[in-house]
Amino acid sequence: MVPVQWYLLLAAAVFCIGLFGILTRKNALLFLMSVELMLNAANINLVAFSAYWGNVTGQTFSLFTMALAAAEVAVGIGIILVLYRNFEDVDVTAATEMRW
Amino acid sequence: MTTKPELRTGANLLPGLVAVALFVVMAAAILRASFGDPQGFAADAPITASIGYAMFNLDMGAVPGESFLVAFEIIDAVLVAALVAAVMLARREESGDMVALLADGGREVRDRLREGDDPHSSDAPEQGGER
Repeated sequence: MVPVQWYLLLAAAVFCIGLFGILTRKNALLFLMSVELMLNAANINLVAFSAYWGNVTGQTFSLFTMALAAAEVAVGIGIILVLYRNFEDVDVTAATEMRW
Repeated sequence: MTTKPELRTGANLLPGLVAVALFVVMAAAILRASFGDPQGFAADAPITASIGYAMFNLDMGAVPGESFLVAFEIIDAVLVAALVAAVMLARREESGDMVALLADGGREVRDRLREGDDPHSSDAPEQGGER
């Protein structure tokens, strides 16, 4: 059995890659992808500890996390669509106010 | 002349260092932690079936796990709400225009006020913010 520390390191790396994307990118679609990376890092932890303790709670919970991520992406892409219609760009730094 | 990819630094350098520093801190914490003896699943454990049973509060799973029926229903409602929200954000009107109130933040009303369609337009100060 692979030690659980390796899974946690993988999850930490994926999370930090997502954080890097959020901190450095201006494209809203890349933002969304970075948030997905961070969510999937949490899923890796859940599944790793589920296998570690021999309990299916973590795996079941990760399924719900994936469903929530899908809902988040649906709304996120809708918002990006509106952003593009109004600013003709998906640069998140262009929209600095709640109105335009 | 050939070009090669270059690493863009500058504004990206500090956030990149923050992400790398966070990884170093997390790695140090993970590698120092002890997690006890692993339990693991039995070799012939019906894991997929047990996940299904746990999701619907059925007490028939061979592998231990909690019940998630309430969470299942809540996620159901959230998914439907997200679907409706996404459709409302993305839809167009029959004429092909965007849905004005949702999509333009009142720009259409502001333009109409500027054109003078509205009787109050002459004395109404401009309300809409500029970009």
